[in-house]
Amino acid sequence: MQQLLSHSADTGTHTTSYHSYHAQPILALLVILLLGLLLSACDSGNTNNTTGNTGATTTTAGGQQGFPTTKPALRTPDFSSEQIAPTVKVLASVAPTLIVQFPLVPASSIKSAFPNATATVTVMQGNPEISVFDTVFVTVQHMPPNVKFTVFFTELSAKPFGHAEYVGDVITRGDGTGDSVFHLIAFVAFAADNRTPTTSADQSGTASGIQLEHVGMWFDGVKSARQVLNNPSIAGTPFDGGNPPLHAGPQAMTDGQTLPVI
Amino acid sequence: MSLLHTLRRVILSGPLLLALLFVASLQASAAPASPARMAVQHVASTNTVPFNPEAEQLRQMVRAGKLAPTVHVLSSLPPTTIIQFPLVPSGIKAAFPNATGLVTIVRGNRDNSVFDTVTVDVQHMPPNITFTIFLIELANKPFGNVEYMADLTTRGDGSGETVFEAITLVAFAMDARNPGTSQDNREGATSGINLEHLGMWFSSLQDAQKVLNNDTLTGTIFDGGNPPLHAGPQAMTDGQTAPVF
Repeated sequence: MQQLLSHSADTGTHTTSYHSYHAQPILALLVILLLGLLLSACDSGNTNNTTGNTGATTTTAGGQQGFPTTKPALRTPDFSSEQIAPTVKVLASVAPTLIVQFPLVPASSIKSAFPNATATVTVMQGNPEISVFDTVFVTVQHMPPNVKFTVFFTELSAKPFGHAEYVGDVITRGDGTGDSVFHLIAFVAFAADNRTPTTSADQSGTASGIQLEHVGMWFDGVKSARQVLNNPSIAGTPFDGGNPPLHAGPQAMTDGQTLPVI
Repeated sequence: MSLLHTLRRVILSGPLLLALLFVASLQASAAPASPARMAVQHVASTNTVPFNPEAEQLRQMVRAGKLAPTVHVLSSLPPTTIIQFPLVPSGIKAAFPNATGLVTIVRGNRDNSVFDTVTVDVQHMPPNITFTIFLIELANKPFGNVEYMADLTTRGDGSGETVFEAITLVAFAMDARNPGTSQDNREGATSGINLEHLGMWFSSLQDAQKVLNNDTLTGTIFDGGNPPLHAGPQAMTDGQTAPVF
């Protein structure tokens, strides 16, 4: 190679040695041979891939198990041993997942000001046998813009709501849309005071505690509720954590159902 | 005449031009040094930890005994808050004395976080067992009001971890028919009953009876679903009287 370089540099001076003239065709042949080998190697790789991708079965040229070529079957899992609300849709999904969806509708407080407000709650459980939490998606539209709402699981969907668990928040964007995702126990959520344990009916049958089978959203601040709804007489509620007591506003969205939604 | 005038003007302005050139060259040589100095200043400013008022407030609460002495408030960058505290064996102390648990709670910006993120890591626990995790009013019996958060299933070597995302630092239980108020050491008076402790329970009484080799263990409420009282005893506790969060 050094000789080739020196030759190309010195072509005008005729100082290249006799041996380098003879080495030139040999080296050229070697380069062509190497290129040929490289091309054939690339070709054989492509051939293997093609065989694997286009084969009718899932076997590959290597004899190993390949990727599936058909969709897994969908099934609609059993969700509840008790009656559930008619608004609840149990999705047909691939085993072993369980996915339910239901809408939230505007509660009386925002119904007149935001009649088109909508929300969808999606609750997903991976494998009911081994999942360590559920995933809850809350998506809202046409809500009061730039407002923070709290999300609670409640015993009852309407007043007096009963026992409640604070799950998370949703902060709407400037166009009134918003979404949040929470990872926690949802399908078997319950409230209990271990000093006086009780039982209640759950999707799985009788269970400890008081089942929290409804979802609602509240204004996290009574001040913002008063401003948004232009009503200074709105009273505070306990539906937010932290100081002071009763600093939250009224319910904004509700599942509106008597029967359980989760 | 005009030629002589021009010549004199050139001669007179020569030194002035030279002086201008000299000043310009000095500025040009100094210019590359300026960004370097700025970079040094920038590094110096990023090396100093910004004051985190939220973290400092929590540290003061630990010093004042308003938060449990086992609580670490990490030196996190504002506006994040990160606390850590250990779990110790309770119901499994005799059989698994070396069991350990570590809880890490991360909150982003206090004003616009929509949940807290909680990581629970355990080691030297009973292997291949599912435990439930609850936020509770009291660390020890009778535990009071409780909230079921998530599960943790240990691996074959007794280690395991889980992460859940939910309201934790201001968690509370209430019956909205009569919510009442309680005192949160950090927040002040709040609605409902604050849940400021964390514990782990056997999700299955049968598992507990088998692992602990004790058929007399009785069922508890610490798991959701059918049948009632199918959970086992508490396995891990923060063990504190003062709140851990």
